[in-house]
Amino acid sequence: MIKVCAVADLPEGEAFRLELEVPIAVFNVAGEFFAIDDTCTHQDASLADGFVEDDCTVECPLHASCFDLRTGKPNGPPAKEPVRTHSVVVEDGTIFVVRD
Amino acid sequence: MTSVSLPPSLIQTLPGSVYTDPGVFVREQERIFEAMWFAVARSSELSSPGQFVTKQVGRENVIIVRGRDGALRAFLNVCRHRGARLCQEESGQVRRNIQCMYHAWTYGLDGALVAAPNLTKMQDIDRSEYGLVNVHLREWLGYAWVCLADDPPSFEDEVIGAADERLGGADVIGGWQVEELVVGRRITYDVKANWKLIIENFMECYHCATIHPELTEMLPEFAQGNAAQMFVGHGAVFAEDAKGFTVDGSEGQQNIPGVDADHDRRYYAITVKPTVFINLVPDHVIFHRMFPMSADRTVVECDWLYLPSVVESQADLSRSVELFDLVNRQDFAACEATQPGMSSRAYAGGGVLVPSEHHINEFHAWVQARLA
Repeated sequence: MIKVCAVADLPEGEAFRLELEVPIAVFNVAGEFFAIDDTCTHQDASLADGFVEDDCTVECPLHASCFDLRTGKPNGPPAKEPVRTHSVVVEDGTIFVVRD
Repeated sequence: MTSVSLPPSLIQTLPGSVYTDPGVFVREQERIFEAMWFAVARSSELSSPGQFVTKQVGRENVIIVRGRDGALRAFLNVCRHRGARLCQEESGQVRRNIQCMYHAWTYGLDGALVAAPNLTKMQDIDRSEYGLVNVHLREWLGYAWVCLADDPPSFEDEVIGAADERLGGADVIGGWQVEELVVGRRITYDVKANWKLIIENFMECYHCATIHPELTEMLPEFAQGNAAQMFVGHGAVFAEDAKGFTVDGSEGQQNIPGVDADHDRRYYAITVKPTVFINLVPDHVIFHRMFPMSADRTVVECDWLYLPSVVESQADLSRSVELFDLVNRQDFAACEATQPGMSSRAYAGGGVLVPSEHHINEFHAWVQARLA
């Protein structure tokens, strides 16, 4: 388990970027947490810098591909490959990621 | 200026080259348009987040955009990466951010650098250092005013003060509730003349009886050649038989409630240097913004502002708009007729101002002081 941050430090609609060898982005969508690989599969951009949509997707800030935070799949071009998803655990007010 | 012996009735103007020389124009861009407060856009044009306009201010192109937090901001329209112009259109709507079409450097509506290809691999880049270059912005009378100077002059003194000085009191202009009014009509004029000719024209009324028959009919004292701008707190009185400030003297629109009896049935005119003219009548406000494009070309955007209820009721504004639209066309035709003469040897030393134009001398001295 990798520690992310306190629940209080990740407000709704925001993202936290875990600086790992392969960075991971953790999102808060209406109080529910999701983790995916942070780097867009189309061009090197941080999805943590993207925009969380109400339908549980994140839009890449560069070329607007939307990734489903539950499945990692892009909804349309230019990205074609999905990003990996990871499990999120909350314990005692702290968010952890379990790499899948 | 060369000191020729002139009879006391006459004062020398600036020499013709000041109206034609591209070098003078560049100095004006630098020391006047980029140094002073410059009205760029009606705030209500930018009502939703991501709405923007781009405007030429001096030598720069400026983006004015509504942020997600509701605030208006202004930035130089230049990508910090390789310098491409970011917003190519004169107006538009971006969804969430301003993205460069070249390498997709992406800026938030607050100007911050949000994303760029491979940015996360360049951890030594401080995103706050590579945001858009901010331009100072103030809102007054429902307009966004920008100043490109690092350290802008006092808005209170230079902008608000100009209106107070002409109207003869602090916040007399407040009576017209200009920020609450709505644009009933906008007309943009592309004038082939130097911006100073347009200002000088606006400052005097020696020409009124000759080229503005309709305006002179409406404001009989204009036939005497004395512009409202020669006085403090003076409004030219409407003709007795005029029902409203319209092209044919017919009824105007609903009066603005804040205009008191002393200011009713009168016409007031204000110049806010360097590029704004404001005309105030009881039922509307005519707001001109000039955009000097080159030594011999000036774009003028003119708004006719009315009470929201007037515009919402889709009242017929045509006779109201037509009066000053006509005045503008008459004035700009005169300015365009003057521009070619500025490069004639007949005007190399300039021309002369008659007594009812003598106050233009102050404008000339002001321009010269700024360029010195």
